[in-house]
Amino acid sequence: MANTLNITWLYPDLLNLHGDRGNIMAFEKVGKKMGLDVKINRIDTFSQEIDFDNSDIIFMNVGEIKTVKSVVENIKKYGNAIYDFVEAGKPVIAIGTTGAVLIDKTTRADGSVVEGLGIIHAEAVERKAIYGDDLHICLTEDNSFELMAVQIHLIDFFLKDENDALCKIIYGKGNNDKDTTEGGKYKNAIFTNALGPVFVKNPWYTEKIINEALKAKGLEVAEPIEESFFEIERNSFKTIGAFIKQKTE
Amino acid sequence: MVFISLLGVIFIKTLKFIFTLWVGKALMLFCNIFAKGRGTNMPGAKANLLMPDFIGNFKGIDVDKVIFITGTNGKSTANNMVVHALRSAGKTVCSNLEGANMIGGIATALIRNSTLTGKMKTEYFSFEIDERSMEHIYKHIPARRVCVTNLQKDQVQRNGEPDYIFQKFKRVFNSDMTLFLNNGEPRAKAFEDLTNSVVYYGVGKTKYSFTKDKFYDVTMPCPKCNDKIIFDYYNVDNVGKFHCAGCDFASEEKVDFLAENVEFSDNSSFDCNGYRFTVTNNEPFYIFNYALCIAVCNSLGISNEELQKGFSNFKNIGGRMETLKYKTKTLKYIRIKQENPETLQTALDYIAKDPSEKILLMGLEELKDFDPYYTNTFYAFDVDFESLKKNNIKHYICFSEAVAYDTANRMIYAGIAPEDISILPNDSDEAILKELDKFPIDNVYLITWLKKYNELEVSTKVYGEEK
Repeated sequence: MANTLNITWLYPDLLNLHGDRGNIMAFEKVGKKMGLDVKINRIDTFSQEIDFDNSDIIFMNVGEIKTVKSVVENIKKYGNAIYDFVEAGKPVIAIGTTGAVLIDKTTRADGSVVEGLGIIHAEAVERKAIYGDDLHICLTEDNSFELMAVQIHLIDFFLKDENDALCKIIYGKGNNDKDTTEGGKYKNAIFTNALGPVFVKNPWYTEKIINEALKAKGLEVAEPIEESFFEIERNSFKTIGAFIKQKTE
Repeated sequence: MVFISLLGVIFIKTLKFIFTLWVGKALMLFCNIFAKGRGTNMPGAKANLLMPDFIGNFKGIDVDKVIFITGTNGKSTANNMVVHALRSAGKTVCSNLEGANMIGGIATALIRNSTLTGKMKTEYFSFEIDERSMEHIYKHIPARRVCVTNLQKDQVQRNGEPDYIFQKFKRVFNSDMTLFLNNGEPRAKAFEDLTNSVVYYGVGKTKYSFTKDKFYDVTMPCPKCNDKIIFDYYNVDNVGKFHCAGCDFASEEKVDFLAENVEFSDNSSFDCNGYRFTVTNNEPFYIFNYALCIAVCNSLGISNEELQKGFSNFKNIGGRMETLKYKTKTLKYIRIKQENPETLQTALDYIAKDPSEKILLMGLEELKDFDPYYTNTFYAFDVDFESLKKNNIKHYICFSEAVAYDTANRMIYAGIAPEDISILPNDSDEAILKELDKFPIDNVYLITWLKKYNELEVSTKVYGEEK
């Protein structure tokens, strides 16, 4: 009997900016390929209950910055549940500006401050100018593990400790203009600026996150997916890599 | 003494304006002779460089007769329609019909329609306004009629997120203006709180209205409370009858200008406030523009009979559909705006209405409008490709230097079989047309950006004539 992977997709309608429902589709596709019974539970409204106990991954896609406050307030209603979830090593993923949900606080352009959950120690500042570009990164823990994405940068993230970076920049902007960090991480709670959708474009990373969720659940990691499954994404990686090379030459 | 100084300042400013205006007119003449195509923006843009408040110095602009039309999609069409309707009713109108919708384009239109001393020669002014330029333009020309067609995801490299534009509009919209708001589009409707003078327009349920209830269907956050917006039905993507799950924000039940009982045909017709209009466009999104046009023109005293006279021969300028001939094949080109999911969805919906055998040429392409160029295709995941699966498309050809694989992957995620997709990771017209030659189907749809279409317009002739 297949192991079950329970993904809680938080506020798909509110956090719906850059085609990121594709990320959930990617988890479903890769999870099935890994032989798992993938169950996705949508939490559509603030009045709907989040079942932390029956979640293996909590996923938040990109939303408008204004939604961060509402999302944080609603998660805080559950007390320590989110913090216990993270401490148990279960993945919590926040994409793009929704990273502001996981960090300490964000200062908006009008000077107002939005408190985050404080899971990853970082602060953010809303930018005056928007910046969009390709984003080529590698994991901090394994420089050979590369990801390709794009970035639409509306807020600068500043990690308190650069060692908490999820990735290093190979090409692109990442967290800010001042260092070469990209995203942030505490245990398996991560935020990343990578869009694409990032888990569609980099299914090898999707596989890795699912294995982390399985480990946190006390299950064995799945057999590695054969490389041919990633053929179209590897080809995309190469053609976009060549495109980036033209820009930097 | 102070009075004399003041007169001196006014005199110098007037001289500066006249000088700048003449420079603009000279540049316009130059463009007309030597650089056709640049004359819609460049003269005004240069005039604004010389005098930043240039557009605020023209004489004879009655702000009661100035209409600004803005929004993500539909503003060009709506503006064309309003201008056509006003002119058909015998009014003189200054407009930026060529689509140059930033301050340079507005200034150019004013230069073109003014005397050598800067007095306007038209009674009415109808401008399509770029969302980011609204604040700057309104500062100099405080229009009393402002229309918002919709506010959606678009050009994220410039606009980031819809709320970025929403906040910009909030800084401009005020109680001195009448807002004409799309009743079925939540962000546009949410501006209702900024003035007491609101005119709602919309379209009732039609035979093309639809609901979404699939697992991966998503909507949007409420502009007022951030909870989920629920659409009871859609007329076009992201526009329809809606309500919020968390507060009482909803589309109005009673709409000031509602196009209803719509019958779609080559001469579509609909009722609006008891008058039956017959029109020349038969796509659902056009009906919204007609409703807006009726609302604006009625408010200016144009009768329904006069409007109908205009509608009967309205032809949109710069439409998004063209046809190319290549050997025995007909390529039906549907223009999309890159990074704009609504235009891509509209294109796919249009193709889905054709039941005959066909090939789809899909070139989403890299984004090359602004520096740095980049490879964004994520907006394709905002769009539903599923309708294509059961639509007699015999083969798909995805082309582009860097994003052909990502485009194909989006289709595969929608359930399209990989073996039905050719992936061409280059931008060569010859390679695209050679691939097309492999399939004995003459009905071809082409979706790409305008630049690629222009290239293919030439290449289809060159390669189509080769023996």
